[in-house]
Amino acid sequence: MIQLLLLAWLAPQTLAGDAAEHVRRGLEARKQARYDAAIEEFREAIELAPNLAEVFVYLGETYMQKRDYAAAIEPLRKAVKLSPNSVAAHGLLGYALLAHGFAADAIPHLERAGDKGALGVAQLEIGRLQDAVGNLNAALADRPNDPDLLYYLARASGLLSKWAADALLAAYPDSARAHEVLGENYFVLRQMANAEKEFIQALRLRADLPGVHLALGQVYAGAFQWAKAEEEFRAEARLRPGNAEAAYRLGVALLQQGKIRDARAELERANQLRPGMPETLYSLGKAALLDGDQVVAERAWRKVIEVAGEGSLTAQAHFQLANLYRKQGDNAKAEREMAEYNKVQNAVSKSADPRAQFATPK
Amino acid sequence: MGRGTRSFLRLAVIVVSVAAAAIFEPKEPPGLDFTLQHSPTPHKYLIETMPGGVALLDYDNDGLLDILLVNGGRLTSPMQLPESFGRGNEQYWNRLYRQNPDGSFTDVTHEAGLSRVPDGSYGMGVAVGDYDNDGYSDVYVTGYGRNVLYRNNRDGTFRDVTAKAGVAASGWSASAGFFDYDNDGQLDLFVTRYVEWDTQRNKICGGEWRTYCPPGVFPATTSILYRNRGDGTFEDVSRSSGIASKAGRALGVAFADYDEDGFTDVFVANDGMRQYLFHNNGNGTFTEVGLEAGAALTADGRPLSGMGAVFQDYDNDGRPDILVTVLPREGYALFHNDGGGQFSYRSLETGLAALSSGSSGWGVGLEDFDNDGSKDLFVAQGHVLDNVESIDPSLRYRELPLVALNRDGRFERAESGTGVPFAGRGAAFGDVNNDGWMDVVVSGLGDRPRVFLNRRGDAHWLTIALRGARSNRDGFGARVRVNGQTRYATAGGSYLSSSDKRLHFGLGAATTARIEVLWPSGIRQTLEGVRADQFLEIREAERR
Repeated sequence: MIQLLLLAWLAPQTLAGDAAEHVRRGLEARKQARYDAAIEEFREAIELAPNLAEVFVYLGETYMQKRDYAAAIEPLRKAVKLSPNSVAAHGLLGYALLAHGFAADAIPHLERAGDKGALGVAQLEIGRLQDAVGNLNAALADRPNDPDLLYYLARASGLLSKWAADALLAAYPDSARAHEVLGENYFVLRQMANAEKEFIQALRLRADLPGVHLALGQVYAGAFQWAKAEEEFRAEARLRPGNAEAAYRLGVALLQQGKIRDARAELERANQLRPGMPETLYSLGKAALLDGDQVVAERAWRKVIEVAGEGSLTAQAHFQLANLYRKQGDNAKAEREMAEYNKVQNAVSKSADPRAQFATPK
Repeated sequence: MGRGTRSFLRLAVIVVSVAAAAIFEPKEPPGLDFTLQHSPTPHKYLIETMPGGVALLDYDNDGLLDILLVNGGRLTSPMQLPESFGRGNEQYWNRLYRQNPDGSFTDVTHEAGLSRVPDGSYGMGVAVGDYDNDGYSDVYVTGYGRNVLYRNNRDGTFRDVTAKAGVAASGWSASAGFFDYDNDGQLDLFVTRYVEWDTQRNKICGGEWRTYCPPGVFPATTSILYRNRGDGTFEDVSRSSGIASKAGRALGVAFADYDEDGFTDVFVANDGMRQYLFHNNGNGTFTEVGLEAGAALTADGRPLSGMGAVFQDYDNDGRPDILVTVLPREGYALFHNDGGGQFSYRSLETGLAALSSGSSGWGVGLEDFDNDGSKDLFVAQGHVLDNVESIDPSLRYRELPLVALNRDGRFERAESGTGVPFAGRGAAFGDVNNDGWMDVVVSGLGDRPRVFLNRRGDAHWLTIALRGARSNRDGFGARVRVNGQTRYATAGGSYLSSSDKRLHFGLGAATTARIEVLWPSGIRQTLEGVRADQFLEIREAERR
C-alpha cells in the first residue's frame, strides 16, 4: 500500500518518468528477492532524482534485507538528512546502526521512530539498564510473548538485578541485605553450604529481615533437611503471618515429615491467604486425605484441575482422585479419573526420573 | 551447683548416650577378604554401577550362616568382543565364605566348586533355595550374559547344573528368587531382567560430566518365570503364565500372598517406571494389577526408580506391605496393604519420605532389629552415579546405610554404628552369630562387605526354621504368625540378595509365644506356650 502511494506520489514529481520506472522495477525485483537487481534500479533512480528521501529509504531497506547493514547505513543517513521527520528513515537507520553494533548512535533514531523494543535493546547494549527494562516492558505490552522481547527483557532485568546487587555489595558489604543477596546468588549457583552461611549471617545482623528465613528454609528443603526447613519456614510465618508462601512451604515441610494435622492447618491458612494456588490446593488435598477428610481432599483436587491447566499437577490430582474413588468403591469414577490422568500425563510426557537431567545420550 | 544437681546432669548424659546408641557394630570378621570388583570405566558401562549380590545361607547345614558374595567382573574401556569379564581370574570370582565356630570365615570358593564362573557373565545377584528338596540349599547366580544354577552336592560342594536345568536365561538378569507359585511342593524360580543392553550398545549420558544413562534410554525387557518340573529341570513359563506380557526394567523382586488366597504373589521393583504387582491367579497364570491395586506409582502418580523391594508386614496388621527403595527426591515408597487387594502409599505418614528423600536405596530389609515386636528398616545406600556430587552437591555417591526403628508404625532414624559411608548395593539379613538378634551383610562397590552385627539388648526373641513336607522343603510361602506378628517365609527380597531363610521374631518382654503356621499346602499348625529365646524347627504336619 505504502509502495503504491509512494509511486503515485513520485510519478507527478519526477522530471522524467524514468526515475519512477526504476523505482517500480526495483520494488518488483526486491519482491522476487533479487536484491542486487533492486539495488541497481534504486541507484539508477537516485541518479535521476537525487533529492528524493524515499528512494534512499528503499535502497537502505534493500541492503538490510540482504543483511548488509554496513551498506544500508549510508543511504539511510542520506534519507534522514533529506527528510529529518521521516519516521521510517529514522527507524531503519536505528535498526541498521544497532545491527551493526553502533547502539549508542542508534538510540536517537529509534527514539524518533518510537520503537520501544529496539530502543530497549540498544539501551541494554550500552548499559542503560533501567531505561531498557522500561522500554522492553512497554514493547511487550504491544507484543506479548514475543520471544525476542522476552529474551532481552530477561537479560536486561538480570543485569539490572546484578548491577543493583553489586552496588549494594560495594556500598554496604557487611550489611544484612548484602549477605542476603550473596545467599541468593549462591542458591542459584546451587552452592548450598555458602548460601546457608550467608543467610544465617544476614539473620544474625537483622533477625527480622523478611524473606531470609524463607530462603534459608528452601536451602534446607533442597538438602532434604525437613526439620530445619520447618524451623525456618515457621520463623518466616511468625514474622510475616500474612505471607501465603511461608504458610505453604511450612505446610509442605510438615507434610514431608508426616506431621499431618499441623501440615493441614498451615496449608489451609495458605489457601485462605492466597486462594486458588494450585500447589497449595494439591498439598492441602494430600494433607486432608491423610487426616481422614476425603471430602476436603476431593474438593481441593477438583479445584486444582479447575485452575492448574493441563500440567503435571493436574495429572497428579486426577491420579489422587482415581485412588480416592477406588478406595470408596466407585470404580467407574476411578477409571474415568485414571483415563484423565493417563491423558494429561502423556501430554506432559516429561520424565519424572531424577536422572532425567543426565538423560541425553552423548 | 550442688552435688545433687551434678548427679542429675550425669544421669541425663548417660540416658542420652544410651538413647543414641547404635543398633549395630560394624565388623570385619577375619577371613572375609572379598572386594567387589565392578571395574568402573570412562565408558560408563551401565552394569558397572549395579552389582553385587549377597547371600546368607547355611550351605553345609552346620548351623552357622555362611556368606556368598557375587562379584562383577573385569571391564575394559572400550570392551572388546567376545566379552569375557575375566571371570577365570581369582580377583573376579564369586566367593563363598564358610563361617567357623569362632565367627571367622574361610574362603571355600574353590573347594566348593564355585570358582568356575562361565566367561561372558558379569555377576549381579544371587538366589538361594532348596529346589530339589534334599535339605541342602542350592544357589542361583544371576548376571549380565548368563546365569548359573549350582546344585548343592550335600558334601560341601556344588555342581553347575544350569544346562540340564535349563535356567541360563539371557540378557541382563538382576534379582532372582525361589518360590512355589503353583503350590506343588517344588520351588520355582523368578528372574528379573533389567533392560535390553549390551556393551556394544552402551550409551553415555550427561552434559559436562559423563554419567551412566538412566534406564529409560534402553528398551524395556521381560522377567522370567521358571517352573520346577521336579526332576531337576525347569520349564520357562514366562509367556504362558503372563509374566512376559509386561515388559519392565526390573531390578528387585519380593514374594508374599498379599490377598490371602493361598497363592504367592510377586512384586517387581522396576527402575524409572511403574512397579509391577503380579497377582497369582492360582491357575498357573498371573495378572499384573499394580496400578489397580495402588502399588505402581506414588500417591502423586509419579513413577519410581525401583531398586530393591521387601514384601512383609511392617505394622502387624497381618497383611504383607511393600517397601521399595528408590533414588533421591522420590522417597522410599511404602505401599500399605489395606486389605481387599488394595494398597495405600504411606511414605509420608510413616516418616519414611523424610528419612529417605535425599538418599539412594538398594538392598532393603524389614526385620525386628531391637526385638520389640515391630519390624524395623535397614537400607543399603549410595547413588548410582559415581560423580553425582559434581552434578548435585546435595547428593552423595557413598552413603551411610539407613537404619530406622519402627515406633508404632512410624520409622525413626537410628544409628547404624558406622560413620564410614560407602556405595552400598546388596544386603542380606540373618542372625549371623546365632545370638537371637538380626544382623546384616552389605556389599559395596569396589569395597569390602560390611557385616553389621547387632549390639543386642534385653528383649526376647524366637527364630523359626520351617521344614516343609507336602510343601517345599524350605517352607517358602508359608505365613507364620507369632504373638500378633506376621512373616512370609522367603529368602528373597532386598536387592540382588538372599537372606537367612529362618524366620526371626522379636518378642519384647514376652517369654512365651503362640505360633500359627499356614503352609503353602494349606496345612495349618498352631503351637502354644512356646518358650522364647530359642531356635525352633517346625516340621510340616502330615495332614490338615
